Amino acid sequence: MDLRAEVRRAMAALGQPPPRGGRGATSDLSIDEALLLHSVGWEPVELVTGVSVTSVPWGVWTWGQGEIAAASSAYAKAMAGAAARMGDECARAGGLGTVGVRISVEIHPYHIEVALVGSAVRPVGKSAGRGRAPFVSDLSARDFCLLHSSGWEPLGLAFGASFVYAPRRTALTTFGQAGQNVELTNFTQAMYQARELAMERMQRAALAWGAGGVVSVVMGQGPMAFAAHAVGFTAWGTAVRVGPDGHRHLEPTMVVPLDDAAVMFQASSLRGEDA
Amino acid sequence: MTLAGPGSDLPEAAGQRLGTGAWSSGLSVADFAACGPMGLRPVALVQGFCAMQWGWYAAGPGLTRGGWGGPGGAGGGGGGPGPAPYAAATESRGYNESWPCPHGIASLEHRWGSNYEQPWVESAWSQGFGSAYRRMVEEAEQAGAHGIIDVVDDASYMTEQSVVEFHVTGTAVAVEDHEGQAPLWSTYLAGQRLAKLFEAGMAPVSVAAGLSSVMMWPNCQTEYLLGGGGGSMWVGPYQDEITQVTNAETAARRLVRAAVSAQLGPDILHGARFSVSRRAAGGGGHVIECTLRGTRVRHFKDFDPLPPPTPTVRLS
Repeated sequence: MDLRAEVRRAMAALGQPPPRGGRGATSDLSIDEALLLHSVGWEPVELVTGVSVTSVPWGVWTWGQGEIAAASSAYAKAMAGAAARMGDECARAGGLGTVGVRISVEIHPYHIEVALVGSAVRPVGKSAGRGRAPFVSDLSARDFCLLHSSGWEPLGLAFGASFVYAPRRTALTTFGQAGQNVELTNFTQAMYQARELAMERMQRAALAWGAGGVVSVVMGQGPMAFAAHAVGFTAWGTAVRVGPDGHRHLEPTMVVPLDDAAVMFQASSLRGEDA
Repeated sequence: MTLAGPGSDLPEAAGQRLGTGAWSSGLSVADFAACGPMGLRPVALVQGFCAMQWGWYAAGPGLTRGGWGGPGGAGGGGGGPGPAPYAAATESRGYNESWPCPHGIASLEHRWGSNYEQPWVESAWSQGFGSAYRRMVEEAEQAGAHGIIDVVDDASYMTEQSVVEFHVTGTAVAVEDHEGQAPLWSTYLAGQRLAKLFEAGMAPVSVAAGLSSVMMWPNCQTEYLLGGGGGSMWVGPYQDEITQVTNAETAARRLVRAAVSAQLGPDILHGARFSVSRRAAGGGGHVIECTLRGTRVRHFKDFDPLPPPTPTVRLS
């Protein structure tokens, strides 16, 4: 391709009046991602968002036993609300699903905020069929293309979260363990409990979609910055199932790149010196 | 400061500097190397500045806490950049929602709230960004360029919280062997990404950017929920969506997309970058501001689909 000729052709087109009709589209995909989508027969339609903010009652982080159900429930509601809004926007834009979604979760003492931003996509020239809800996924455009090429299809965003109290040690135990190397089993057990509950919820959500599994799972874990005796575990990913034509083996080609940025040669080695 | 000519924003010294023959550019070496195959020749590093003060005088009745009726969306702060592609596009009467006290009690504790768009802030942003952009374009035209690539823009508060400095910069380029009279184009892209855009049959038209600003004054229930007041000794803790906050956040995102979409016409916004900022206003209010930037592109030929990608494994 003569790139210079293409640029001159583009300049000539810009000198003409813009085409009439048509509707502008927005997308946050890079040019690579947009071209990649086209190569598998899909196109971006519109930038879509979804937001939900839920309340967390005062005091739930401080005292108690077992799971902090109010916080876990607030997280689930915020995620579900944001995903539902994004799905609605996607459907209104004529999309069949969303890719390249960036998920932002903020957990505050009294409220949890979830915000999603991504691009609605559809097969080239086709709008969403009636009765079929668009999928919301956290797949990048590259991941979506790879998944599509492998014969799999995304179904929706599966997520789970759990917040659990780490029981306080007794004064006697605290005193006895002072200055020693010792595992704090209360925190370890709380983390395991939170992990199991969150993963189970995510997998249950995937099963409800009719999925065979969840890919691109992103996990977050740790104590709450504002509540020293509470630990949280969050997980989300895209529920997928194999398409009607079954799994396709991709047989990737091996590539040895010749643009390795690592410095493999030091001039000082010529003088017999160590690098 | 002496200006380059009547109706010009460009200082005379800048006009003389741009005509000296030596060129400058903000491109990385890789992006500069990619210019050659495209037939683009850097001619100057061009910039535009504008310091804007946010005006409150055009705010309207919606400024008052729990204001009934809201600002009406007519927009103040006037004097936008005219038909330049940065006019904030508000809804016909502006976004405005009232949130009455659900308890039906009038007291200091129980009060109404409201969410409303702040068109005067959007207008001031558009005016500041548009002026800085126009000045950059004027420099590029002075240098004899056909387009501006690798545009970078920034808005930051100066010494006073109500004064914002807009700074837009880019590398002006001339298209070799181009004789036509196309309007000057601009793009956030450079290097191989720009080359791929041309290869794919899309021409950059201009950068496109917009800002939405939504003020949220919480009503008593929202304030109660944001303060952790969900539940009671009778019903126990409960959690629910804080609808007023959700609606304000959703509206800010919707408005900025509408503002930028209104600039596009039949064109496409490519590589959009979305950002959200929040700041507390006095009295429990919050301002939510969303910005959206991207390159407006136009198809100049039918798109040739690429062959399906070949999966590879890198052995490194």
